[in-house]
Amino acid sequence: MRSKIARLGLILLAAAVGYGILTQVSPATATVVRDILTQPNTYSTGLRLAVPIVLAGLGGLLSEKSGLINIGLEGLLIMGAFTGIFAVSLIGTEMLFAVVPVKWAAVLIAVLITSLFSLLFGVVCIKYDADQIIAGLALWLIGLGLAPFIAVVYYGGPNSGGNVGTLGTWAVPLLSQLPFVGPILFVASPFVYIMFAMVLLVWILLYKTKYGRWIRASGENPDALETAGISVNRVRYGTTLLCGILSGLGGVSLSLGQVGLFIGSGETMVNGRGFIAIAAYLFGNYTPTGTLGAALFFGGLDGIQTQLQSLPAYDVPDQLVRSIPYIAVVLILIFVKKTRIPASAGENFRTDEE
Amino acid sequence: MKVSDRVQRIFWQLATTSGDTTIIITGGALIFSVIITMLIVTASGLLASCQDAWLSWGQLYFCYDPVQTARLLFISPLENKNNLAYTLRETTILVFTGLAVAISFRSGLFNIGVQGQMIFGSIAAAVGLLLVAPLAPTGLIGTMLLLPIGILIGAVVGGVWGLIPGVMKAYWNVNEVITTIMLNFVAANFAFALVVLYYQNPTSDIVETAPLPPTASLDPLFLAPRSNFSTIALLAAVGCVIVVYMFQKYSILGYSFRISGLQSKAAEYSGIDGKRTVIYSMGLSGAMGGVGGAIWAMMSVAGWAPGMPPYGFDGITVSILAGNNPIGVLPAALLFGILQSGSVSVDFASSVPKQLVDILRGMIVLFVAMPGFFKMLGRYINREGRYNRNPPQQRNPNEK
Repeated sequence: MRSKIARLGLILLAAAVGYGILTQVSPATATVVRDILTQPNTYSTGLRLAVPIVLAGLGGLLSEKSGLINIGLEGLLIMGAFTGIFAVSLIGTEMLFAVVPVKWAAVLIAVLITSLFSLLFGVVCIKYDADQIIAGLALWLIGLGLAPFIAVVYYGGPNSGGNVGTLGTWAVPLLSQLPFVGPILFVASPFVYIMFAMVLLVWILLYKTKYGRWIRASGENPDALETAGISVNRVRYGTTLLCGILSGLGGVSLSLGQVGLFIGSGETMVNGRGFIAIAAYLFGNYTPTGTLGAALFFGGLDGIQTQLQSLPAYDVPDQLVRSIPYIAVVLILIFVKKTRIPASAGENFRTDEE
Repeated sequence: MKVSDRVQRIFWQLATTSGDTTIIITGGALIFSVIITMLIVTASGLLASCQDAWLSWGQLYFCYDPVQTARLLFISPLENKNNLAYTLRETTILVFTGLAVAISFRSGLFNIGVQGQMIFGSIAAAVGLLLVAPLAPTGLIGTMLLLPIGILIGAVVGGVWGLIPGVMKAYWNVNEVITTIMLNFVAANFAFALVVLYYQNPTSDIVETAPLPPTASLDPLFLAPRSNFSTIALLAAVGCVIVVYMFQKYSILGYSFRISGLQSKAAEYSGIDGKRTVIYSMGLSGAMGGVGGAIWAMMSVAGWAPGMPPYGFDGITVSILAGNNPIGVLPAALLFGILQSGSVSVDFASSVPKQLVDILRGMIVLFVAMPGFFKMLGRYINREGRYNRNPPQQRNPNEK
């Protein structure tokens, strides 16, 4: 705990020193930075951008806690983002019973499809004893190919056609009136609330339930768990499924929660967030709350760079500004000193039955 | 022996013998991934709208013909001179990226950043050559001077970009998969910004550098003069394969790479410096990617422009398909060259999206990753014990 506070202090100190230097070197840039940092908009954008990272990070965390390293979170996010939009295109945007947007059904479909996709990873690793890293890469590459492929078939191009609209924002009565914090935390996309709920649920699941104990045992000492009469592989199938559900939510939060479109050109709209999610739970030291914190940090940086791009007077190429979150991830990983990687993570568990 | 028996026998051998099974498993993986991808293509034809469906079944119209697609994908890249030249051009670059990935995978490291190393290698080679070319003599001597310079610049810059994740892995144990992927994004963005800021061709409307002078570009010699395929580059690629093979087989450093890949702990105990192996391996892998980039800049573009095809990602599949063996990279790269060229034919001659090759890429990695699948398949085929070398066991009479 103390080392954590020390680390946080160090980061803040570095930021302060950096800002101090900036005011000396280029006062104009320092003003820009100050303006961006004091705008509530930066933080609400950052929060929104953190959602897919947190959700995929939680999924990857559960999976790795149980011993399966899922490097293919990116592929799951792509599938979630695409199937959400695709489902809306197929079922329409009407209201269900005049109150619930049909889009929520699309969210469910996206979660379902992504879970099935994730189970594929589970089957390949657990049943057919595949190398987890390579199977994860395959998951990513398949997502990267399949979603744009179907988009071209259906929409005629790798991006989905017209904007289907997002799920809007929910405002919490009264609390949204609070100064500064109100518009950031309490007028937000429904997925922001889902994200916070999921952090809590995953925390409870991991540390307060029997299944959570099995998950941790399955990653730390699978033989002991098997001896105790619990099927390691069944536990791992469970976490794979949960990983799919969480990543599916994460993907759909990106497409249906933020843009209303699927962008499938280049590296797709997910743009490496699945890999940033892995960095988030590593930096968060394999805890749900740590993952949340790290993802908020990455999302915040993403929010800052988005704001920077929107400033007309700032004539640095967008591409440089856009690199900020990726560079941050690389630098941050250096500071991950002693991660508590589960002892058996990455090793497939073989039962004697075969 | 009946044909079906023969096929079954092959599958059974695949499931039992070790050693030479990799080739059979790879072949099986290829067949399965092509079949699955074609099934996806056929099924997705239901979603498309078309005038003349290939097959209709009640109200269901299948727009995409899998047989025609497969023919376009695998046969037409070899059909005429132009297609063949394009196929070999892609093959050439894929040999370099495949080798780059294979070097790292062999030593147990996952360099997913070949794409970025290639981007930086290619832009550095292009910019460097644009600076140096005016000083060089014209004609053949100039070319013989400039080509090695371009390749060297590419190797150095790609290598340095590969060293970053290598050093981070060696000293801080940072997961190289994540850093290399992050650095891919950084490289793509920075290279784009570099051109916009400093090296934009003033006479061009799109983002690109000035074209390389003829002395500094690889020209086609024999096959299809307008194809941008250079036979010399292909020969250089084959040369690199041999060098990497010899390096891994006969040099001490290459040996330490392999041992570290097989058993990193054992390697450490036997006195191999693990940190050094990681750094060298990532550096060499990045350098090979950078050479591929330089070749791309000198041969395919004759300059530099953003939007490089995902050669680095294809390199992963090429290497995995080759079992991370440098010699195997050659046929695997040829297969992917065919697929790249075939995807153009598919795009041109049918309504099937060319992205099907990207699905196939993922499927191949998936199937090659799970030898267990083929072992189980073999066991299933041999469930009656017909192909055992030893006489089949007495079956339990109580068993149905």
